Amino acid sequence: MTTIALPRRRLFPAWGLTLAGLVAAELIYFTLTTRHFAGHGSGMLALTEQFSPTGLLALGLAVVILTGNIDLSAGAAASLSAVVMGVELQHGWSVVLAALVALAVGTLVGLFNGLVITLLGIDSLLVTLATQFIATSLATSIGGENPPYGFSKSFLRLGTGTIGGVPIDLIVFVVLALFVVALVTRTTFGRSLTLIGYSRSAAEYSGITTRRTLTLVFTMSGTFAGIAGVVLAAYYNSARADTGTTLLLPAITMVVLGGVDIFGGRGRVGEVIIAVFLLGYLTQGLLIEGYSSLTATMVTGILLIAALVFKVWLGRGAGESFVAAAHRLFVKRSRPSRA
Amino acid sequence: MVLIVIASTAAHSYFWSSRNISFILADSMVTAILALGETFVMLSRGIDLSVAPMMGLSAVIVGFRVQDHGLTLVPAILLGIVVGLVLGLGNALLVAIVGLPPIIATLGTLSVYGGLQFVITGGRQVDTVPNSFTDLGSKLVLPGIPRLLILGLVLVGITGFVLRHTIFGRNVYATGDDAEAAFRAGIPVKRTLFLCYLICGACAGIGGVVYLMRTGSAVATTGTDNNSNLLAIAAALIGGTALTGGRGGALGAITGAVFLSLTLAAMVFAHIGAVWQPAGVGVLILLAVVGDPRTRKLAVHRWKLRGHRP
Repeated sequence: MTTIALPRRRLFPAWGLTLAGLVAAELIYFTLTTRHFAGHGSGMLALTEQFSPTGLLALGLAVVILTGNIDLSAGAAASLSAVVMGVELQHGWSVVLAALVALAVGTLVGLFNGLVITLLGIDSLLVTLATQFIATSLATSIGGENPPYGFSKSFLRLGTGTIGGVPIDLIVFVVLALFVVALVTRTTFGRSLTLIGYSRSAAEYSGITTRRTLTLVFTMSGTFAGIAGVVLAAYYNSARADTGTTLLLPAITMVVLGGVDIFGGRGRVGEVIIAVFLLGYLTQGLLIEGYSSLTATMVTGILLIAALVFKVWLGRGAGESFVAAAHRLFVKRSRPSRA
Repeated sequence: MVLIVIASTAAHSYFWSSRNISFILADSMVTAILALGETFVMLSRGIDLSVAPMMGLSAVIVGFRVQDHGLTLVPAILLGIVVGLVLGLGNALLVAIVGLPPIIATLGTLSVYGGLQFVITGGRQVDTVPNSFTDLGSKLVLPGIPRLLILGLVLVGITGFVLRHTIFGRNVYATGDDAEAAFRAGIPVKRTLFLCYLICGACAGIGGVVYLMRTGSAVATTGTDNNSNLLAIAAALIGGTALTGGRGGALGAITGAVFLSLTLAAMVFAHIGAVWQPAGVGVLILLAVVGDPRTRKLAVHRWKLRGHRP
């Protein structure tokens, strides 16, 4: 069997439906068990403020992972831009200017990643592992011993304000999410990056400028990290050097839970968006019910593994054993992509 | 490495004093032992992101036994290994038997084990560890040579022997180099992978006990709070073990770890603030990878390929 087919387009893919069902189930569960969760309908919306920065990181990461790479520096880049934002605001810069510079900082981190990875031909895991450390140091040194806090009201609106009852950062997230979906599914760029993830050599031989595309992808991830950083600063009304770093693992979990193949080439950003809500509401719901954040993390880990196991089971061919399906889905595919 | 030592000694005579050197060496042993386990996994073309909570769990579980039930040294180390083996078994099952990609499986167990560590401590902490433990962590054999270094070297000797001179060791290299070819050559790929993750768990377990000896304490966030994960991977990388599998060795893990702490200590002596230490690690990783002749050759090879393409 050597059928090479790009993922089929279906309106309601099974995985997306499963995820959506899980979201509905957990919303109902938490509404029934916890009085504060729904909060006259607005509570549920307000909770999204807690995880939209993570979602923003997940969007950038989803694109990177689709190309078969990974960006471990996204969280640290978000911290860095949050700190830059905070310091500038404290120096009395205007909000717009400060935000632009903070975004530029995130973008630069991404650009650096992209250039080093493509020009030197080094594995993205290594490069972004290194830049993660470097960005963390930069953030800590810029932030100084007393992290900036106490920003102007107009800026804080970005993190906690609402328009017609909908939190502004949720709007930011949804708009950018739709943008990424359109980018990946409807443009040449999106096609190219998916093909790179599917098979890099095939992409090169079909005339795709793989290095330019990859550099752009990492730059984009950096920009998204920058946006996440700005939103984080606005939400917490302060900019500590570790605000973004802790969001990295949840963000990667969201992407993987959203069904994106860690080896690239397969996955839908739409499903990642559903996964963002699934994981976000799950964490917040558990926190409201009084569980510790580490218990919530543990549940997240279990969910990640269980989801993958279920996905393998879902993707079984007729009469194929579970282990054989897993082998076909992960082990065999992992061989050529890293050659 | 020699350059850094000479430069730092020239700047500060204290740097080359036996106390300082032995402190640096002893300090790097936890990372070195974690990196040893990580070496097995990386040689088999995998990655284990869960070494930090495995180490933390081992430190916490052993620590409570020692503190509350007066566990002695040898059983404590054995218990640490058992804890590590059990946790490593989780990874091994997910990666080798279920067949999940290592980075995802261990990302999941990283969260699970981290949470478990928190549940087990339940807000308590280990703070009274008997002297028999801390002595081993801080006393010296000879001036400049801490006891822990001996332990580290013995472990490196064992793992180096296993990797170089046993069938299993050769299987690890073969699996990491090309799993398909190894499978066709009749090497039990699954069993090899399984054992690699088990060994990594055991090393993390020993690392936890050593951590206990070194610091005399353990809390709910031990391991996960100071990036031990990434430090262990960084140490193995700097020591020349490739993420792409099949290349590297046990000696690299310990030299990488020592080099890492030596550089960080040198940074302190050069009056570079502590906030720049992570950046130092990052730059070291980049330098190690760029300086690796194999990577360079690969990059040049790619350049040429591009040139010849129509």
